[in-house]
Amino acid sequence: MARQQGWFALILALAIAAGAVLASFPLQLGLDLRGGSQLTLQVLPAGAIKQVKGEQLEAVKDVLDRRINGLGVAESTLQSVGDDQLVLQLPGEQDPSRAAKVLGTTALLEFRAQKPGTEEEMTGLLKLKRQAVAVLNQSRAQQAAGDQQPEIKTEELAKALDQLGVKVPPGSSETDQLELLLAEVNQRIVALYEPPQLTGKDLTSAGRQQQQTGSGWDVTLAFTSEGGRKFAELTQGIAGTGRLLGIVLDGRSISEASVGPEFKPAGITGGAASITGNFSAEEARDLEVQLRGGSLPLPVKVIEQRTIGATLGAENVQRSLSAGLFGLALVAVFMVVMYRLPGFVAVVALALYALFNLALYALIPVTLTLPGIAGFILSIGIAVDANVLIFERVKEELRRGNSLIRSIDAGFSLAFSSILDGHVTGLISCAALFALGTGLVKGFALTLGIGLVLSLFTALSCTRTLLRLLMGYSGLRRPTFFLPAAQLPGSAS
Amino acid sequence: MTASTPAPQMAASAMAEPRFRITRIRRQGWLVSGLAVLLSLVGMALCWSNPRIAAPLRPGLDFTGGTQLQIERSCTGADCAALTADAVQQRLADISLPPVAGAEPPRLSSARVQVLDGGRSLELRLPDLEPEQTQALIDGLTPLIGAVNPAQLSVNTIGPSLGGQLLRSSAVSLLVSFALIAAYISFRYDGIYAGLALLCLAHDVLITCGVFAWLGLLRGVEVDSLFAVALITVAGYSVNDTVVVFDRIREQRREYRELGLSDQVDLAVDATLTRSLYTSFTTLLPLIALLLFGGGSLFWFAVALTVGIGVGSWSSIGIAPTLLPLLARR
Repeated sequence: MARQQGWFALILALAIAAGAVLASFPLQLGLDLRGGSQLTLQVLPAGAIKQVKGEQLEAVKDVLDRRINGLGVAESTLQSVGDDQLVLQLPGEQDPSRAAKVLGTTALLEFRAQKPGTEEEMTGLLKLKRQAVAVLNQSRAQQAAGDQQPEIKTEELAKALDQLGVKVPPGSSETDQLELLLAEVNQRIVALYEPPQLTGKDLTSAGRQQQQTGSGWDVTLAFTSEGGRKFAELTQGIAGTGRLLGIVLDGRSISEASVGPEFKPAGITGGAASITGNFSAEEARDLEVQLRGGSLPLPVKVIEQRTIGATLGAENVQRSLSAGLFGLALVAVFMVVMYRLPGFVAVVALALYALFNLALYALIPVTLTLPGIAGFILSIGIAVDANVLIFERVKEELRRGNSLIRSIDAGFSLAFSSILDGHVTGLISCAALFALGTGLVKGFALTLGIGLVLSLFTALSCTRTLLRLLMGYSGLRRPTFFLPAAQLPGSAS
Repeated sequence: MTASTPAPQMAASAMAEPRFRITRIRRQGWLVSGLAVLLSLVGMALCWSNPRIAAPLRPGLDFTGGTQLQIERSCTGADCAALTADAVQQRLADISLPPVAGAEPPRLSSARVQVLDGGRSLELRLPDLEPEQTQALIDGLTPLIGAVNPAQLSVNTIGPSLGGQLLRSSAVSLLVSFALIAAYISFRYDGIYAGLALLCLAHDVLITCGVFAWLGLLRGVEVDSLFAVALITVAGYSVNDTVVVFDRIREQRREYRELGLSDQVDLAVDATLTRSLYTSFTTLLPLIALLLFGGGSLFWFAVALTVGIGVGSWSSIGIAPTLLPLLARR
């Protein structure tokens, strides 16, 4: 009896502790339950690196971490998966396409001087670029206002495209054609530059400021002392020559600046510069974030994007919760009807089991996702099975004419080996799934595995302790509380 | 606390005559299972030979890659009902997506459109889209479908490489767990038992796949990574259920040495029958609740588990124990 009371005190203490854990640590819900976005980024090998390894992944992750912090997204997490993937979670309603854009670009900034003797070609290209940008901006503004597409001079566009030898896919709209034209022009401009003399590595910080004239934004840069020296040299070289200073980001020409003759003696000194790209406030902010975070050592590609709206997430929670509760209620009714007193004890033990499970989810912490909840529901099935195995054995022993206490003890010890084997095989597959599986499978394996371990504990200790404790009351020590009278050996014959 | 209680002689002789002898109907049982497996293989073969599926099961987005878009409209009643899938399809053909990173935007003519909930929501299956292209697509649809509630939006984009990777990792983890389970059973019981448990497992998994092959053929049901999770669970349940019967057979063999193996098997199955039925019933209860309330992505997951657990219970009663005398004789 004393032993039972000790166990009972332990179970009670655990139950209180579990309640306290649940009250102080909230359960973590996955994005499919709370709404939000998940992006999976694949790090691609480039240049001399043929295969992405842990080190390179870490380097990319560092840069992305800085960029995410720069974006100021609340509660986001960035985790590496395997050798070459990163998973970014953005809870709540945030804009995944913007995040993907900011994270996905390499942000390799280069300052390059124009090659001598290319002035004429550059002038033509810049004129074309200015026209294309003006029409595109106008078209976007009108589209945003819900107006009709602006008139694009089709003939001129076709002529320009033809001149540059751009192949236009059939059926593409005029806006698409303009973008293709712009991409080609930018590429040709980049081809007119010397190799880079100064890169984003020479930056100490980046900022942004609104233009004094016009509504656009500029991105400001501050160089290291070495960078400042290089920048002065670079600008000195082209000052007053009419050649341009190109600012190239990820191979795209984003700005072309002329350097006046007054800088001929010493170049632009002071270690600072600004990029006047006529950016929108958001573009300027994103560029600032990318430049501050540094350039990615390797390119990344978004290979998976999952977005689920907040209400849809809440609906998922509600549905799986009602399924879980309804299923549990049915199981409870079934157990009490079929097994009487021990059935009732099992229901109490199962309620404890569910409580312990949730407390562990909060403590570890386990992020609950839909498959995770499914794993939890299934583990309840297995926990019930352990009780069914035991009570069937108790019933058998009673039918054989054994005394009640003996039958209960025998029931537990005889059922033990099959409960153990069943749980161990279950745990083996959970371990394999957790170690080798991905995302969804992992979450499922984790909740099922936790459930299996706890089920071993509750079936073998909670049910047993509670049952033995109740047997201390003589009023409850009646075989008919365990088995219908007709099945007992005495009355059956 | 004494562990096992030797049964009194009188009770033992009563127990030695089972109420129900599984081995008497073993041929019928094998026939039913054999036919079910055959039908499953036929279903998978038909799927495979269907040029539009070309795989044993109709693969979903998770395995093929692409973008799945679920949109809920902010319309009411009759306004919603006016929308047809054809109209959406036509509108899609007019939308031009922005190119990303110099790559040509994918054609939208291959999109599959489903109008759900009486026009209130839309489900689109599209080629692999970049995030900004998805936004452009939604913007392009707005004139036709009206405003969209972002809190009800669901977008899934899976690159094709990820699908293959998912499939591979699921298959590898499944095979590794089979091997480990077989090793454990061989260690606790015997090689024959391990072989039979794996046979049952193959039987259960095959039939579950077969049901979904036919569902894919007849109803267009696709399998996703949740289905892979369901198969893994079925495998785990199958072994768990079989092991309980094996444990009882081993016990009967010790208790009733004088009986033949067939009789021992009959006794063991008879003794565990109530438990087997109750257990599958209590496991199925939450699943049935999931079927009723789960909805969406959880519905077919619950179907797969329900089928698999039903078949798993049958195989642990009617296949594994009845094949044991046949194999142990050699």
